[in-house]
Amino acid sequence: MTRYLLSRAGQAALVLWAAFTASYVLLQLLPGDSILIKFQNPELGLSPQQIAEIRAYYAGASPLADYAHTLLGFLTGSFGYSIDTGTPVVERLAEALPETARLASAAFLLAVVIAVVIAFAASYSSASWLRGALLSVPSLFISVPAFWLGILLIQIFSFRLRLVPVIGGSEVQQLVLPVLTLAVPISAPIAQVLARAIDQVYAQPFVPVIAAKGASRWWILWRHVARNAVLPTLTVAGLTLGELIAGSVVTETVFGRAGIGRLTEQAVNAQDTPVMLAVVVLAAAVFVLVNLLVDVLFPILDPRLKGAAA
Amino acid sequence: MKGSTPMSPSRPLRTVVTLTLVGLLGACGGAGGAAGPAPGGDGTPVQGGTLTYLEHQPPTCLYLPAAGFYPNGGILNQITDKLTWQNPETLEIEPWIATKWEINEDATEYTFHLRDGVTFSDGTKLDADAVAANFDVYGLGDDKLKLPVAEFVNNYERSEVLDPLTLRFHFDKPSPGFLQGTSVIGAGLVSKKTISLPYEQQCQLKNIVGSGPFTLKNQIVDKEVDLVARKDYNWAPPSSKHQGRAYLDEIKIIVTPEDNVRVGALTSGQADMVRYVQAYDEQTVKDAGFTIYAEPTRGVNNGLYLRPGNSLIKDVNVRTALRLGTNAKEIVDTLFTASYPVATSVLSHLAQGYVDLSKELVYDPAKANALLDQAGWVNGADGVRVKDGKRLQLGVFVSGPQPLSKQTLELVAQQWTKLGVKLEIRPADAGTQAVDIKDAEKTAIQHGMVGRADQDVIKSHFHSKNRDVILSDDKKLDRLLEEESAEPDVSRRNAKVAEIQRYVIEQGYAIPLFEEPQVYGAAPYVRGVAFEAVARPWFYSVWKARQ
Repeated sequence: MTRYLLSRAGQAALVLWAAFTASYVLLQLLPGDSILIKFQNPELGLSPQQIAEIRAYYAGASPLADYAHTLLGFLTGSFGYSIDTGTPVVERLAEALPETARLASAAFLLAVVIAVVIAFAASYSSASWLRGALLSVPSLFISVPAFWLGILLIQIFSFRLRLVPVIGGSEVQQLVLPVLTLAVPISAPIAQVLARAIDQVYAQPFVPVIAAKGASRWWILWRHVARNAVLPTLTVAGLTLGELIAGSVVTETVFGRAGIGRLTEQAVNAQDTPVMLAVVVLAAAVFVLVNLLVDVLFPILDPRLKGAAA
Repeated sequence: MKGSTPMSPSRPLRTVVTLTLVGLLGACGGAGGAAGPAPGGDGTPVQGGTLTYLEHQPPTCLYLPAAGFYPNGGILNQITDKLTWQNPETLEIEPWIATKWEINEDATEYTFHLRDGVTFSDGTKLDADAVAANFDVYGLGDDKLKLPVAEFVNNYERSEVLDPLTLRFHFDKPSPGFLQGTSVIGAGLVSKKTISLPYEQQCQLKNIVGSGPFTLKNQIVDKEVDLVARKDYNWAPPSSKHQGRAYLDEIKIIVTPEDNVRVGALTSGQADMVRYVQAYDEQTVKDAGFTIYAEPTRGVNNGLYLRPGNSLIKDVNVRTALRLGTNAKEIVDTLFTASYPVATSVLSHLAQGYVDLSKELVYDPAKANALLDQAGWVNGADGVRVKDGKRLQLGVFVSGPQPLSKQTLELVAQQWTKLGVKLEIRPADAGTQAVDIKDAEKTAIQHGMVGRADQDVIKSHFHSKNRDVILSDDKKLDRLLEEESAEPDVSRRNAKVAEIQRYVIEQGYAIPLFEEPQVYGAAPYVRGVAFEAVARPWFYSVWKARQ
């Protein structure tokens, strides 16, 4: 197990380094740079020569030295300064991360609840029309654009019914609508995979055996089928993280939340390389960590996998 | 929910609202004071309360000379004062922190006498030393601190402190625009400590210490800025009817990027005032009984600026044809509202030195086609004209700050297909734009405008050493602009500005479209709304009527 963990951690470090290097190179290849974008502001009346001087002030000795310097900074936890605002990138991440963490974790939990309710209700219901209707809900959810859903929810619940304010309001009030907006599309793939996995488990021969022994439908579903169906669902749940990050960009913009999504959007607009680099590496790190977690959970949930891992 | 108003006002209330609306429109842009008492309401200003103001974008770098960006100006206009006050109605320069001033004959020496007893919010004195330190940076920049010079100061040489309340500025060439320059948003005065900070630190709001009626209370970066009234503020411009501290206790400036969330929050009573109401939302706001403030920006109009350096449009007749083939009225009628007047010159009709050129700016597609024929451009197979194997295809970037820029350009492109000209519209991706915008071959046309209530605005826009939107190599144009900028006599200066407007049109450098306003929406109970000369809100005299 220890060896397994070590090798997985080594792979994770490799993935992070690759993500860092790939985005570093790509960001260098983009036309223009943040210094040009920022200082070309005509109100500041700078000549191209002066802009070149500023660039020289920010730049390192050579591209390779720059890269080494930045990488070293990342290893020691110093992500440099945002060129756009002049604040340390760490500070900006520290401000934005809690906002997104609250939003994303609440949305993920809600998505799991929605998914479980849909999948269970679908497999438990005996009427085939109801089952069909429930199973088509995920397809509907995944085709709803988060942008449109967010605005619709605001229009109905905040502007018409006046149940939750979007401006001001407590932290909980501020979370309700964005969490719902983000949870709906995330719940779709989880619900779909869980429902399908449940069907597959039902088709296995051990189910009629338990039924013949007199187990109730609910007992079979809860104690035997669901437990076996959870593995593929866990894998998909780990993968929805990407959706969570992408969805938070849209959701945070619609709801005016100052989280990682908004930070990313602004950094991209201003081509603020240090911030973009930090966001990419952060996202990669979370991805790697969650997948590592899923892999570690597998043998715990399914004893049959213990041998394979060791 | 606080501050909510009923969705559909009862009949008497609606009457009151309508009357208030009329009253406010009448008083709109009032001379820096509170709007007159609204009919049907209690005209006595109410002290206290919090104004919730929704901004479209978060502020960027708050170094004062970069305050022109509206989200920056909306904050800095509340926390800083200026040497002089430009009356937004008359555009006259009036006393503020400077009680009086003398200017020598050729506008190379300006002497200012300062008001006594003015302090910055950190307790330090606003005296001649502090003012000198501010303008030395705005006029000359500071290489060591990486502080760039400001666009609104020309020909600055040095400052000279005569006594604690008197100082003189020296210029190496006449600088008649300087007096107005001391009133602009970027000329806000900050403490000596603030002005001696390096650029990166002056970018941050928490470091900006001014003498204005409000101070920073709290900031959540990219989300919210809370300002609180200064209790000891007692140096409003003398022409303001309201003196002493601000009426409001607090202002909450909340960044709300989504257009319809801003408007919905306003009409559902969650916010008191919003900036940037889109043209298509104006009616919604009015129908809900709210007030639209479409404030003029008094500068170079929203338009297309054609670059003679591009090989396809180096012929003045081709550029003229493009202008004749552009229907500005159709653009305004289709996309905008009465808040956006059709352009009648290069400058707004409220700009200093404006001359009416509406006779020249006609829509004449037949003549446009004839000019293009004469210039040797023949119709190609796909409907786009060709000459020497080259298609008449011109590049332009969507302009982020301009309202409905993409839609405007799409409509122009549609109009130009009738001329056999293809307008290639590119999205405003910051990196590509920063590089290609300076390349006339790739970007034949610039879409933009610039606001400032001084004759120098036209120089800012066109001079090859300023914004240089047409990437000018026209020596005559540069000379005319320099002459305008150095002309101390106002009537001769205005005549020069008129000559420049004619010249720019004759040379086909500009296709003026409309006079771009800043559009705000406010609840009917928000009174005393005022703006500086270029439409940045001034919350000093704003108060909330009891509902």
